[in-house]
Amino acid sequence: MRVLVIIPSYNEESSIRATVNELREQAPDVDILAVNDCSTDATQDILTELNVKHLRLPINLGIGGAVQAGYKFADLNGYDVAVQLDADGQHDPAFLKDLIAPIVAGEADLVTGSRFIEKEGFQTSSLRRFGIKFLNGLIRLVCGVKVTDATSGFRAVSRRLIVIYGGEYPTDYPEPEAIVMAKMHKMKIKEIPVVMRDRSGGQSSIKFLNSVYYMIKVSIAIMLRRLQ
Amino acid sequence: MSLTLQISMIVAELVYFAMIFYFLRKKMLSIKYSLLWLVFGIVMIVFTSVPSLMWRFMWMFGVESPMNGLFSVLLFFILTIIMSLTAIVSRQSERIRALVQSQALLEERIRELEVKKDEH
Repeated sequence: MRVLVIIPSYNEESSIRATVNELREQAPDVDILAVNDCSTDATQDILTELNVKHLRLPINLGIGGAVQAGYKFADLNGYDVAVQLDADGQHDPAFLKDLIAPIVAGEADLVTGSRFIEKEGFQTSSLRRFGIKFLNGLIRLVCGVKVTDATSGFRAVSRRLIVIYGGEYPTDYPEPEAIVMAKMHKMKIKEIPVVMRDRSGGQSSIKFLNSVYYMIKVSIAIMLRRLQ
Repeated sequence: MSLTLQISMIVAELVYFAMIFYFLRKKMLSIKYSLLWLVFGIVMIVFTSVPSLMWRFMWMFGVESPMNGLFSVLLFFILTIIMSLTAIVSRQSERIRALVQSQALLEERIRELEVKKDEH
């Protein structure tokens, strides 16, 4: 089983080093691929210095485009499992094994890590939790998939789904839509409990003023997926 | 429609066509995307040179004031063109995304190959 951990990175100079080092320490048998989404800070220098495998996007594509580039890489290089992990330190590599296990066992094609199953660790603001609950409900309504943390970017993907995501992946704010997309391709979806940490550096890609746009865009995208 | 209005509209339409042809000749506009503009221009020329035709057309659609009808036609055309532009932009950004990704994948491969070459 060849496992690739994809780390989308946009201006992560304050956290990328710790994330990569922690990953190397805790999971020495997986390959790491950082995707530098045209960062304007020292992210590129740090990646070079760490001598970690990475893609350099010449134009900023946003999280969706960066992650998709990672899936394309995983597809081209024949990886069996791809894991998405944020560069900001929110995602603890200790859960990597749990995330991958259902895929190795053939029980799932998409395994997402949820911070709301055991309600431990960083739980984010109540407003965001409300938004996430709304999206969980919408996904359940639209395609019957039960998730408790639709926006979680900590997820593992099987070979079959790697190929699908490489060919097509949602753009800005892709996580909830990607779940529906997987279901529409008849993929098996599973959620496991994880503990997330407060981000050590950078800031959420979802700022308060963008949240209304975020909710509307993602809701429409989810419903459109059902119609396709 | 007064003769003065008719003449000034026809002059405006000629300027409009001159602009399209200028862009086409300078290759600043591809023929594919100029088609909608040309169709719109032809409709406007027909309407202003034969106003009775326009009146009849407007009555058919229940428009009581022909000038308002003309504005509606104009607005409809503009909306159609803007919508097709948005569709084009969306498609372009899809293509740019794919291009950027494949460029990044190739660049990574070159870097890997160079490392391997140096090892030999």
